[in-house]
Order: sequence, then structure tokens, then C-alpha cells
Amino acid sequence: MSWLASLWTVLGKELHEGLRDRKALVTALFFPALGPALVVVMLFLVSDSTRQADEKGVEIPVAGREYAPNLVALLEQGARVVDAPADPVEAVRRGDVPVVIVIPPDFGARLRAGEPAPVRLILDESRHQARPAASTAERLLAAWSHQVAAQRLMVRGIHPEVIEPLAVEREDVSTPASRAAMLLATIPFFLVMAMFTGGMPIAIDVTAGERERESLEPLFAAPVPRSAMVLAKIVASALFGAATLAETLIGFGLVPLAVPATRIGFSVQLDPKLLLTTFLLCLPIVFAAAALMVLFAARARTFRAAQTSLSLLMLVPSLPGMALAFQSARPAAWLYSVPFLGQQMIVNELIRGSPLVPSQAFLATGTSVIAGLVVFALAARIFERGQPLFDG
Amino acid sequence: MIRLEGVEKSFGKVVALSGISFEVPDGQITGLLGPNGAGKTTALRVVYGVLRPDSGRALVDGVDLSLDRLGAQRRLGVFPHAQGLYARLTAREHILYFGRIHGLSGDALRRRADELIGALGMEDIADRRTEGFSQGQRVKVALARAMVHDPRNIVLDEPTNGLDVAATRQVRTLLRQLREQGRCILFSSHVMQEVSALCDHLVVIARGAVVAEGSPDELRRRTGKESLEDALVASIGSEEGLA
Repeated sequence: MSWLASLWTVLGKELHEGLRDRKALVTALFFPALGPALVVVMLFLVSDSTRQADEKGVEIPVAGREYAPNLVALLEQGARVVDAPADPVEAVRRGDVPVVIVIPPDFGARLRAGEPAPVRLILDESRHQARPAASTAERLLAAWSHQVAAQRLMVRGIHPEVIEPLAVEREDVSTPASRAAMLLATIPFFLVMAMFTGGMPIAIDVTAGERERESLEPLFAAPVPRSAMVLAKIVASALFGAATLAETLIGFGLVPLAVPATRIGFSVQLDPKLLLTTFLLCLPIVFAAAALMVLFAARARTFRAAQTSLSLLMLVPSLPGMALAFQSARPAAWLYSVPFLGQQMIVNELIRGSPLVPSQAFLATGTSVIAGLVVFALAARIFERGQPLFDG
Repeated sequence: MIRLEGVEKSFGKVVALSGISFEVPDGQITGLLGPNGAGKTTALRVVYGVLRPDSGRALVDGVDLSLDRLGAQRRLGVFPHAQGLYARLTAREHILYFGRIHGLSGDALRRRADELIGALGMEDIADRRTEGFSQGQRVKVALARAMVHDPRNIVLDEPTNGLDVAATRQVRTLLRQLREQGRCILFSSHVMQEVSALCDHLVVIARGAVVAEGSPDELRRRTGKESLEDALVASIGSEEGLA
């Protein structure tokens, strides 16, 4: 029997058995829902908090507003001033209100005397939700302070520009769309997780699992080229990984349907063409992931040890994708040649609406194909020596 | 015909086989007898190609395993030491899978599977998944998959281990049938009764070396003992690890 026929025979059996493996099927069917579901939930949260800020304006509770009518007047230009709760510190700590400005009764007297007039700004830095209100309050207080200082200088015949060595112009280019795009940058992470998680049950079952069930020795005693045997096992795992990846992509493709554009203020660009491009772009790393898992699982002593080492293994290539969500600087060109990372960076840019750069795609694909073949060769070598059978 | 020539194999510092040579002729049942740990499984694993000897060579019908492993394995039916089954495949699917590995296909393969299922009396379990099979049922599946390509040479590692009396008798009958067909049969055992009941030719090994070889009559004559069992104990030098 030829090498290719051996490959087909073993692959056919591994898939036949894999499709009867309930654990593998459940993983392949349900894991893909996870990433898209999380992104939908987070998009809703983001859109809710930005919408509140946009529609109502920031609400700033102020205690003692009667002591500083001028200050309150300026605050009202940038926010809605409301009465502060009875116990401002506790209210902020509990998160009932994002921030409280407390103006003491001696505010007016100190101000008129030309002394620094005390104002308490109560806020909780650890609360992400409170940040817009807190920074608005700080900005408005600083603006008022600056305004009073300028008036005092003018009274003394000094031009206010003297204390203005810098003219900072603040331009926030973030839009609801770009904020949501940060969330979408987690997609590459979920894609890599999907290809590993989907292929993992098969990769372990056909190596460490078979050794534990003692069904590997009859196969090693049969006339099957070991390289064909190991490739069949890798491809079986890769097919499950690819199926899980495809389902995950379709799941992300449904995100725009679940989150209407009007709600988040922009339309998510995850059309079928983008999804298909991403899928094809990821195929080399699906194979590399399966080859890595088969290699590691074949060397693991037991089924459990294989599960542990593969769970750790899959974090290594998926985490750089997570980091992409938090960086915006232009990455160095050579990074595209790093398997897994290159694909994640390209997909990230596609989602942000940039066109596919062929040279980057070729680079990432080429190095990933080579990496996959190298890992396959390593796995074939240890199968050739019969290692998976005896020492694990 | 199977032949081992000066096969040596060590695992780390442990010497499993210290240069063993013997020949397994066609048309006979050859028993590889020895106490537990004597090196029986290691020797058979070299024969069926899952272990590479450190030196020496093994040949199946003249094909050297170190030069053409697949060619030699095609000429072998193997009932290996570890004979686990695929829990999610049926008994018949096991036979079909190994048939395909040996290059069979289509109607010929299906007919061969039916034939083996009939011969081993496993019609009732043929289309059940093997999860939960009894030891006897598992052995039948393992025998059927070893025989699917109608091999000239058959290697079995303790085939009657864990079987009840009826199943053991069935296996012995099968081995005798295979001998009548002129095949070369090599099986290992540490059960002297089994060896004396079945074998035409004996290879006795202890501590990784062949200590006696020949027909039961020759062994009795050489050691001067009345019974074969006494002759075997005398060749090994101890009763330890035998049954």
C-alpha cells in the first residue's frame, strides 16, 4: 500500500472515531459561540456607557453649591450639576455616583482673601465607569481656576499669557466606532483559541489516549509508514480545529446582526469576504497548531499530562493576539513573519478596515507553512523511533 | 519463516536481550517460553517491528526488518503485547480498518471480514462498539484483525492471557488450524502446560538469552528428564516466574 493510501486509511479511521467522540464534538460545537457572545455583550456595555455620556451629558453632584455660584455656573457649561447625596464619600465608594465636588462654607471668604480656595473632589480611580465624569469634573475645576487666575493677573496689569507657556489643544479622535474597534481586536485571540481548542480533544485522543488504551501498538506493528501515520493524526486534529475556527468566524459574522449599527454608532465590517479571507489566511496556523499539539501530546506521559501541557501550550501563540487589542502603534515589519502573531496582526488590520497587504500575507503564510512542516517532521521522527509507544 | 540473528537490545542500563538467535520454521507452532521478565515481549517486538534492536537483525521470510520494515510487517499477522481496541469502533470496523491498512478493499475485504467473524464465532458482537467487551471478546477482535490479510507468519504475545477455559481451547484450535495450513507460528507464553500441549518446537529464554531450543522430545532427551516440564525447569535453572 502506498504512502498516500496509508495516510487516507489512517485519517479516515481517526475521523470516523473522532466524529463519534462526544467530548470532541461538544467542544467543536459550543466553543465557537464563546468569543462572539462575549464580544456582543461587551459591545452592548460599551455602547450603553457611551450613549449615556453622549445623550445626558456628564452628571456632577455638587455639595455646597450655594457657596460658589460662579464656579457652579461654569460647571454647568460642561455638565449637569445635581445635588450631592448626604454621605458623598460612601456614595462614591459604593458607586452610586461617579464623583462628588464638595464646596466648603468658607470657600467665598478664602477666595476673596486671595488664598487658595479649598474644593474636595471625591472619586474612585478604580472604577472604570466613573472615569468620564471624574475627568470632566477635574477639567472644569482647572478651567475655572485658570480663569480666576487670569482675572487676578489682569487686575495687576499682567497679561495672562505669561502663565501660559504651553498652548495645549486637546483633540480626542476616538469615536464610538474606534472604541468598539478595540473590542473587535480581541477577535484574533478568539480565533487562535478556537483552532487549538477544537483540535485538542482529537490530538490528545490519537496519541496519549491511544497509548493509555494500548491501541497504539497494533498500529505500530502494522505496515504503515510512521510519517503517514503521524500526518493522518495531525490532519484529523487540524480538520476539527478548522471546523471550530469556521464556526467561530461565522459567529463573529453574526455579531453585527445581534448589535444594530444604530446602537453602537457604527457598522461592524465582518462581511463574508473578510471572514473567508481570514479563514484561508489562518489555515497554515491551523495545521501548525495541530502539529504542535500532536507533538506535545505524543510526548506526554499520560492523558492528563497531555491535557495540562496542551492547555498551557495554546496560551503561548494566542496571547500576543490579546495584546494587540491594547496597542495601536504600527508593528515592526518582521513581526509578520512570526507564525500566529503575523496572522493575528493581519486579521486585526482587516477588521479595522485596512486592505490586505499581499506581502504581509505571503510572509506570514510562508513562515507558518515552514513552521508546521518542521513540527510535523519532529513528530514523525519520534514516531519513527517508536517513542510514543514506550517512553511517552 | 522468522529468524533472529544475534539480536541485542538494552533499555538504559538494563540488558533485555543479550544477542539471541533462533529460527521459527513454517508449518510448525514454535513456543517462546520463559519466566516473566526473560525478554519474550522484547524479542517479539523486535520481530514485529516496533522496537529496533541495538545490533543483530530480524528477518521475516528473508526480509530484514531494519532494511524494509513495511515489507516484513506485511508478511506478519501480529497479536501484540498491548492489544487495546478502539472503544468507539465496532468489532467489524476494526477488521475492516486493518484490512485497508494491508491494502484490501471492496467486496474482497467485506467477504474476508465475514469469514473471520464466522470462523471466530463472533457474529453476535461483530457490529457492537468494543467498549465494554469481555477479555475473551477483545482477544477475538485482536485475533481477527491480526489475521485479516491472511499472513504467512503469525506472532502472538501471550494470546491466552486472561482467557477462560473455553476461549483458551478456541485459541489453541485456531493455532492448530493455522499450522495445518502450513503457516509459521511464533507465540510466547510463561505457561508450561500450554507450551507442552501445543508446540512442535520450543525456544526457551531466560535473562535475555536462549538457554535451550528444539522439539519437546529433543529437550527431554538432552536434559534426561521424563516430563517436558522438568526438562524446561532444568534448562532455565529455576521455576521462578513460570506457571
